[in-house]
Amino acid sequence: MHALRGEFEGVRLINRERREDMPQAQVTMDVRKVNDDVSVIDVKGELTAFAEGVLMDAYNQASDGKVHAIVLNFEGLEYMNSSGIGLLVTLLIRVNREKQRLLTYGLSEHYRNIFQITRLDDAIGIYDSEEEAVRAGAA
Amino acid sequence: MREQSPQGKQRHVEPQPRDATHWARYVKTLEGTAGPNVEGRRVVGPLQGFGKMWQKTYRVRLEGASAPPAEVVEAWRARFPELSGFGEKGFRVPAGGLVPGAVALLGGLSGVMVLYSDEESFTYMTPEGHPFSGWITFSAHTDEDATTVAQAHLLIRANDPLYEFMMPLGLHRLEDRTWQRTLRNVAAHFGAASEVETRIVCVDPKRQWRCYKNIRHNALILSALHVITTPLRWIKRRHQVSGTSTILKP
Repeated sequence: MHALRGEFEGVRLINRERREDMPQAQVTMDVRKVNDDVSVIDVKGELTAFAEGVLMDAYNQASDGKVHAIVLNFEGLEYMNSSGIGLLVTLLIRVNREKQRLLTYGLSEHYRNIFQITRLDDAIGIYDSEEEAVRAGAA
Repeated sequence: MREQSPQGKQRHVEPQPRDATHWARYVKTLEGTAGPNVEGRRVVGPLQGFGKMWQKTYRVRLEGASAPPAEVVEAWRARFPELSGFGEKGFRVPAGGLVPGAVALLGGLSGVMVLYSDEESFTYMTPEGHPFSGWITFSAHTDEDATTVAQAHLLIRANDPLYEFMMPLGLHRLEDRTWQRTLRNVAAHFGAASEVETRIVCVDPKRQWRCYKNIRHNALILSALHVITTPLRWIKRRHQVSGTSTILKP
């Protein structure tokens, strides 16, 4: 157990180090608490390795309280590389650890294909609209 | 954006994102590769594997080298078999090169698919049966003091229980040595001699027991079975040939 805690501390330490030497992230993430169960993160801009600090800060803000689901709104997503997909995997692990669910909506056809080929769609629920995603998150 | 269809109707067309040509297209299974343990297999990411999830980062600062990140990645991609130490036989690059969607064969054992490729990075994704389930990204960027840094970043799980058992018995060490050697070779290629920095983090210590059945694709087991059953196939082939010649003998 102690060893595991050490591993998690390692993750936190690395995240902090990265934030310090992080070049400017071309992304903004606004957090909206839709109801007691669901928070929405509006992603606007580029999802790359540089977005790690912004994404994790947004998640910390969004999961405040007893939220059961985090919904990522990708309507404003302009660019994503493989590091961006990696960030979503590490976010998903954190969300699952907190016994929450990660859902998305607003993905264009192109980004839906990327979710499909990387098989993120096996674990992250994809919805057409915010209403559907919020309903699924509250269920 | 709107586009005129042949029937004269206007239809909505989504503008192509900048990363559209960087990603592989979706395929259900890998086809036309002629690779054992690759043909007909699905690609798998870190969510589909069995073992603990590891994030491994190997980094080298190219001190004294003037090559910008794009030049480093271009050379790395073009000379991947040589720089990784796998050699031409150990890492067979397909005819069209390492473009998104291309599949390179790893000896006769497994392979990798190019998931993503741009000027400053490229990513491989593994197929079912490979020791690891996940992605490995090779990239370069400029540090605060304008030094180019080359990096290999893995997000992986052992694909099945056998590989997970092998991780502490040498598979971890083998993986670390492979990418540390690769980065040393990249540094040497650009005339830099720096130390490789390694960071290993267990992102998810949980094993995904529901994925234990991945072992049915295990490339090591299937390749061993293939070797063991070679005499049987040889006998069968001989039998078929002699059967055919009997028919042809009127």
